[in-house]
Formats: sequence, structure tokens, C-alpha cells
Amino acid sequence: MAATLKPYLTAVRHSLTAAMCLQDFPSQVVERHNKPEVEICSSKELVLTPIVVSRNEREKVLIEPSINSVRVSIAVKQADEIERILCHKFTRFMMRRAESFIILRRKPIEGYDISFLITNFHTEQMYKHKLVDFVISFMEEIDKEISEMKLAVNARARTCAEEFLKRF
Amino acid sequence: MAKNTSSSAFRKIDVDQYNEDNFREGEDDAVDSAAAGPDENEITSLLTQGKGVEALLSALQNAPLRCKNQHVKDHALNITLRVLLSIKSTQIDQAIDSVEQNDLMDVLMKYIYRGFEIPSEGSSGHLLQWHEKAFAKGGVGCIVRVLSDTNRA
Repeated sequence: MAATLKPYLTAVRHSLTAAMCLQDFPSQVVERHNKPEVEICSSKELVLTPIVVSRNEREKVLIEPSINSVRVSIAVKQADEIERILCHKFTRFMMRRAESFIILRRKPIEGYDISFLITNFHTEQMYKHKLVDFVISFMEEIDKEISEMKLAVNARARTCAEEFLKRF
Repeated sequence: MAKNTSSSAFRKIDVDQYNEDNFREGEDDAVDSAAAGPDENEITSLLTQGKGVEALLSALQNAPLRCKNQHVKDHALNITLRVLLSIKSTQIDQAIDSVEQNDLMDVLMKYIYRGFEIPSEGSSGHLLQWHEKAFAKGGVGCIVRVLSDTNRA
């Protein structure tokens, strides 16, 4: 399993680097508006082919590029019920604070756990390679974080049970 | 003189659809639905003879990219995916060399990405190796052409 993590992340990194070629593009429909085309889908010629990079059935990344924005959705590994709950809580916690994360989308795309929306304004303000690095390290961290939390939950449950059963 | 009515239905009319310069898909390119995709029998026989590289070239050369029929495309995808997965990791370099000589890198990359969309047991790990080696040869441009090409695999 561990052997596929590195090639998975490199494949995602290369795909993101390719997809993050964004330019300023005002709306074709409304004057003085500037909307991320991947969300609006006002014209088919502005939205490019979406691509998926998958590690297995559960872990995958969907990249939907368009002329001025790219949407990156991540499906996190969830092996059992506890991991599913932890992942849900964790992603919800962050998505409620989406402003502080700047590129985080408030709702994930259906079938995925968390989504990022990167527009041309973000690539103008921040370095493109740093944005790619951020998404990659986020993917590494979230797996680590969830397995750590799972261990902590189990350890706490064990201590609680021991304390409780001392009385009998 | 225009009559004053309380109806507001006219606000719902999408006037932008009458623009002359709207983008219309697939108008200029001739639809060749005759392209039937790769020949399954030929590829199966090549695979049983152990000629994985030849089978891959044949599958990529006959890829129905301009075809509009999704069934034909899915069928071609299944065949190509079977070829990709049957080529062993040690042969990938050799296969990619001959794919590049035939100028089919973009088609190969399209099928690698399509293969990621239907993950099965162990297929993604193998496709990740393909992706890594195809990227080493084709570079970022190869992926960009997958993204921007309207003739999808």
C-alpha cells in the first residue's frame, strides 16, 4: 500500500501543475462580472476536460480545470466507521472556516470529501508551485491526522472503560 | 404604444442564446462515426503472442477519439486498458519509446487518465507507473493537451 503513495502524489502534483494555467477572464454574459467558469459553466468552450487520479477505489482526486479557475476535489481514505466520522467532522470543521483557508470551497463535490477552488486571483497573489505544494501536503497531512485521531479516540475509550470497570 | 401589463415572464427569457457569436460544439469538424475503434480480435491475438507493445500501438492508432458515440469509446477504453494492464512494469519504458516514435503520447495519456476513472483491484497502482514514465517522456505539455483537447478518449 505504502508503495503507491509516492507515485500517487507525484501524479497529482504533475496534473495540478498542468491544470493551474489560469488567466483573467471576465464573464461573457454579464458585464463587469468575473466568475469562476468551472462553477458557472456558462460556455462549453471555457471548461476543459476533467481528469481523475486514483490510488484505489476510495482514494482519488478529481481535477476540473477551466479558463480562469480549477476545482480540486479529494476523496479521503475511510476504512471503517470511526474514520468516516472523524473525516466528516474534520472536513466540516475546516469548511466552516473556509475564508481562513482562502482556496477552500464551502461544499465538497458530490462523491468527494473536500474541495478546493483555485481562481486566477489566487494564482496571481500566491506562487503557483506553493499552491500545488499546499494541496499535496494537505493530502499527506489529512491521512496522518485522521489515523492519529483514531488512535487517540481508541486510547481514550480504553482508559474510560478501565476506570469505569474498576468499581466492579 | 406598448401595453402595460403585470406579467414579468419576459424577464425569464434567456436572450443570450440568440447571440451570433455563441460557441456551438462540434459544428466545424466532420463527424466520422464510421470509426469503430480498435480491432478486439487482432489485439487479443497480439496479447496472447506476448506482443504487448504492438497491441498497444494498434489500440492507440485506432482510438475512436473523434467519434461521438459513447459506447464505441467505452469499448475502446476497455480494450486499451486491458492492454495497458497486461504490459509488465519492466516493459513500460520500451513501450513508451515506441509510442513516442509513433507520435501517440497524447492518446496514451488520455487513456491513462480515463483508466484512473474506473479503478479496479491493483489497476491504479499500475497506471500510476504508466503515468510517471509517460510524464518523464512527454512532460507537462502532454497533460495540458489531455485537458484542452475536445476529442476526448
